[in-house]
Amino acid sequence: MGIGAEVLATGLPILASGGSGDGSPAGILLAGPIAAIAVYGLLFRYYRNTDKSHSFETETRIQAAPITGGDQKVNEIRGTQQSQIEGNNVGSHRQRVRRAP
Amino acid sequence: MTSIPPSQPQDQPEVVNTQNADLGDGVNRCPRCGSTDIQLRASTGMLICLFCRHEWSEQRAEGQLFDDGDLTQLQGTTLGSGAADIAADANAVVTLKCQGCGAEVVVNTAAAMSSRCHWCRHVLTINNQIANGAVPDAVLPFSLSHQDAVARITEFASKRRTFANRQFLKEFTPENVVGVYMPYMIVDGNVSGDVFGHGEIETRRYTRGSDENRKTYYDADVYQIHRHVDFTVDDLTIESSAERAMMDASVNTNNIINTILPFDTKNAVRWNANYLNGFSSEKRDQDVEHLRPALEHQLLSIARSQAAPSVSRYDRGVRWEAEKVDVHGTRWVSMYLPVWLYSYFQEEKNMVHYIAVNGRTGETMGSIPVAQGRLLAVSAAVGVAVEAAAIVILVVS
Repeated sequence: MGIGAEVLATGLPILASGGSGDGSPAGILLAGPIAAIAVYGLLFRYYRNTDKSHSFETETRIQAAPITGGDQKVNEIRGTQQSQIEGNNVGSHRQRVRRAP
Repeated sequence: MTSIPPSQPQDQPEVVNTQNADLGDGVNRCPRCGSTDIQLRASTGMLICLFCRHEWSEQRAEGQLFDDGDLTQLQGTTLGSGAADIAADANAVVTLKCQGCGAEVVVNTAAAMSSRCHWCRHVLTINNQIANGAVPDAVLPFSLSHQDAVARITEFASKRRTFANRQFLKEFTPENVVGVYMPYMIVDGNVSGDVFGHGEIETRRYTRGSDENRKTYYDADVYQIHRHVDFTVDDLTIESSAERAMMDASVNTNNIINTILPFDTKNAVRWNANYLNGFSSEKRDQDVEHLRPALEHQLLSIARSQAAPSVSRYDRGVRWEAEKVDVHGTRWVSMYLPVWLYSYFQEEKNMVHYIAVNGRTGETMGSIPVAQGRLLAVSAAVGVAVEAAAIVILVVS
């Protein structure tokens, strides 16, 4: 991810939750603090690399059989304001969830 | 759905003898001239006699120590004798009797695998697999020279000067980089993974309200999802030192060393302590059973990663709620891997910062201590500038 993209990724969700998303023009006043936090976080990570680790999911030789499984429609949601499923962890491979028996 | 019965083998593991029978403890001589001054020549990956310049190498471990076969047939637990459990009463310090003069020579296996007899100057090495876990099944020799490592560390640090801690810059001496053989377990596995959860597909998006009260609403279909994947992993690399495995970026920088993985472990050779002469080493202190949780964490992560492409149609995302891994078979090999390590102790934070270079691939990663004052000043300046622009926009609109 490029530096600019990282800043956007860090700042935009905060900006959205900070008020601009609800249509309040005062929300834009949060842009300064958000930019300061984003610049600090970005530079700190560039120097300290605290978020780095071995990408064993992609850098290990893995031979996988075709994926199997099932999908069953169980519900319909109408009129939610959430833009994604609650607790979306599809990309957080290392975030452990309950161990199935 | 294919279902393989889980077989979490708790029975006795099969142990493959990986002891290098050609070598023993103490004096191990050059096969041509009999000298004990032997070192690795990194540019060729060969051992070289410093007296007669004869070069040779140990056999490759892969295919020699283990059957390099179909991993889908792997069942139960197999491990190299160098990966066997460490005896509770084992001591890191080993005393050898010099075959040259009879003197007693001490080797601290926590940091080295050889020592020079201070009486007759013979180099004594430890090659017999001992109960303290210091002698692994195989070693991957350095192929990147000290000079190359210095250049890579210098380049890495020079890109990060502006906000670096002033004391760090003042004391920066990349020539002090040390070659260290780090202990790892190299694990092959035959595994099944299952993940269970819910996913949502957006069916409609619309807005209600007007002007400042306009809000976006979504309709979605909710699905219950299950994914199953059978897979094998080849040479998964796990830290076998408890200290190195503890990766908490708030108190240490061990993640830096982890980041320079992987290594070309297929090129590892049978153990010969002479590969370590002139380098430092760290001893393994974890047994296979200690490392199973770390292995299962990595296998679960891989299963989740493998399942991800199959749920891409869930455009509102997936919430995985349960997961499991059935390990049908594993094979464990203990190995020393080569790392060039530059370390800097930041006194005010009581933290050691590493810049690490993979001794084979040259991959470099590091932690440079920051100058907090500078970083805060620049961040605040950017914040003020953005805020001023925001105020102008507000006033104009």
